[in-house]
Amino acid sequence: MHKYDKLLKIGEGTYGTVFKAKNRDTQEIVALKRVRLDDEDDGVPSSALREICLLKELKHRNIIRLLDVLHGENKLTLVFEYCDQDLKKYFDSCNGEIDSDTVKSFMQQLLKGLAFCHSHNVLHRDLKPQNLLINKNGELKLADFGLARAFGIPVKCYSAEVVTLWYRPPDVLFGAKIYNTSIDQWSAGCIFAELANGGRPLFPGSDIEDQLKKIFKILGEPTEENWPGVTLLPDYKDFNLPPVAFSLALYVPKLNQKGKDLLQQMLVCNPSGRISAEDSLKHPYFTEE
Amino acid sequence: MSGNFWKSSHYQQWLLDPQDIMINRLKELQANNLKEDEYYKLMIFFTNFIQSLGENLRLRQQVIASATVYFRRFYSKYSFKCIDPFLLAPTCLFLATKVEEFGLQSQQRFATLTASLIKSKYSHLYTQEYPYKIQHIWECEFYLLEVMDCCLILFHPYRPLIQFVNDLSPDDQSLLQQAWRVCNDSLRTDLCLMYPPSLIALGCLHIACVHLKKDAKQWFSELNVDMEKLFEVVRHIMHLYDILKTYDEKEKIKEILGKIAKPRLTNNSSSSNIQSSSQNSQQQQRTQIMNQQAPQQQQQQQDQH
Repeated sequence: MHKYDKLLKIGEGTYGTVFKAKNRDTQEIVALKRVRLDDEDDGVPSSALREICLLKELKHRNIIRLLDVLHGENKLTLVFEYCDQDLKKYFDSCNGEIDSDTVKSFMQQLLKGLAFCHSHNVLHRDLKPQNLLINKNGELKLADFGLARAFGIPVKCYSAEVVTLWYRPPDVLFGAKIYNTSIDQWSAGCIFAELANGGRPLFPGSDIEDQLKKIFKILGEPTEENWPGVTLLPDYKDFNLPPVAFSLALYVPKLNQKGKDLLQQMLVCNPSGRISAEDSLKHPYFTEE
Repeated sequence: MSGNFWKSSHYQQWLLDPQDIMINRLKELQANNLKEDEYYKLMIFFTNFIQSLGENLRLRQQVIASATVYFRRFYSKYSFKCIDPFLLAPTCLFLATKVEEFGLQSQQRFATLTASLIKSKYSHLYTQEYPYKIQHIWECEFYLLEVMDCCLILFHPYRPLIQFVNDLSPDDQSLLQQAWRVCNDSLRTDLCLMYPPSLIALGCLHIACVHLKKDAKQWFSELNVDMEKLFEVVRHIMHLYDILKTYDEKEKIKEILGKIAKPRLTNNSSSSNIQSSSQNSQQQQRTQIMNQQAPQQQQQQQDQH
């Protein structure tokens, strides 16, 4: 711990306090995440363990780098590369205007980080603007892997309560216990729309039912035809909503046509119809001018 | 995590040079007046111990296998004197269940279940009360993490094995089962510290083929692997079987266990290295583990007994 001078408290993470700090030897600015080990808990919190062991394996420029783990008296300190802000704060500071090049750049970086996670069979499971960090060079990095997990075979029975409501896909909202990389692609799609709208969330639901209604109001209610098996999901509900009045495209007026097309492929209610992160990166939105 | 073994911490940090393993081990043998095969038998014993503990806790084989590898990683670098293997074994399982996100009913049960397993199955070896509580496991977990440099994600031979069997002889359940058993047995060797899991899987498959008199020469010859390395793996496992053939664990292990100078507990306070809750001795312990001074200090404690 003597290696770092604490500069200021940045916030409270899932399982501990986060500080901005400076490495005394190298002058490098880092973020310290302190994990307290209290006697009442079960040793090192499993969310911290998951974050540590996954980030140990995931080294990519669009994934937050875990520089070190310090072992101290009854506490662990995770040392991360420092980023100036998260996407949520970025939204707050940009007064509802984000230029289209920035939207594309952030989205491309998000998908690159995600594709890398998925190629390592790691699901993030909790993508939201607060978990996307941005440094002063405009680099975007996936962070907060406390809910992430390495998935293997068999892929089933993950806890149902994982993704923050606004970015949670309809299959998980309907209580699906089996899910895969498509869970992150939905969240990425929601973030894409939010970026394109200068930080206005696309589906800001207040509870699970409201969340589903907001989604289906724009995308239409799923049917057995376009999503076989949907009515069998544990918490499936038929809302009897009127047919969709406007297409998704109208909700992201500033996005160009190719962007709208990509977004449409990401926000597909049926998880098996959602485009993968890798394929998203090959979409004309990124590859053509 | 899968499919990226060559970029993993398992490959980059934890495939050890056999010579380095031997150097550390020789020190341990000398310090405890152990013969090489006695050390080998100790590791077999504790692998079995982890296995039955894991089965008692109804853990998946994958979790048990991970715990076994953690256990070997720790003792590849540090001595039995640093942490009592009877404490490290449940700690490895404890950590592995968390990493594999295996919904743990009650973590408190870890210590009590270990105690009751020892009482029911190992009372002839472990005459006193099992002294460790869950707090010791938490503390031990901390050291284990540190010694392993937080490299917790492992690759096991099981998954590549399934692929190889599917390729060699699809739907051959008896071959898969036989090779799977050999894979389980391979946890009782140093293989996981030295060879990539896919190579271990091939070695296990090779042994299973020979055992079932299945001619797979052609298939093996078309593999793009270093056959010399493959046969090293096979030799390691055959060595294990040779030992098991002539060895009665029940009869012999007590004597061998008696030789290792593990941290002992006394009534008034602990002399276990990671036992005490006072900050000073925690600090001391940390230094001990990290500086590898434990053997000497432990020796002094031994002398006092």
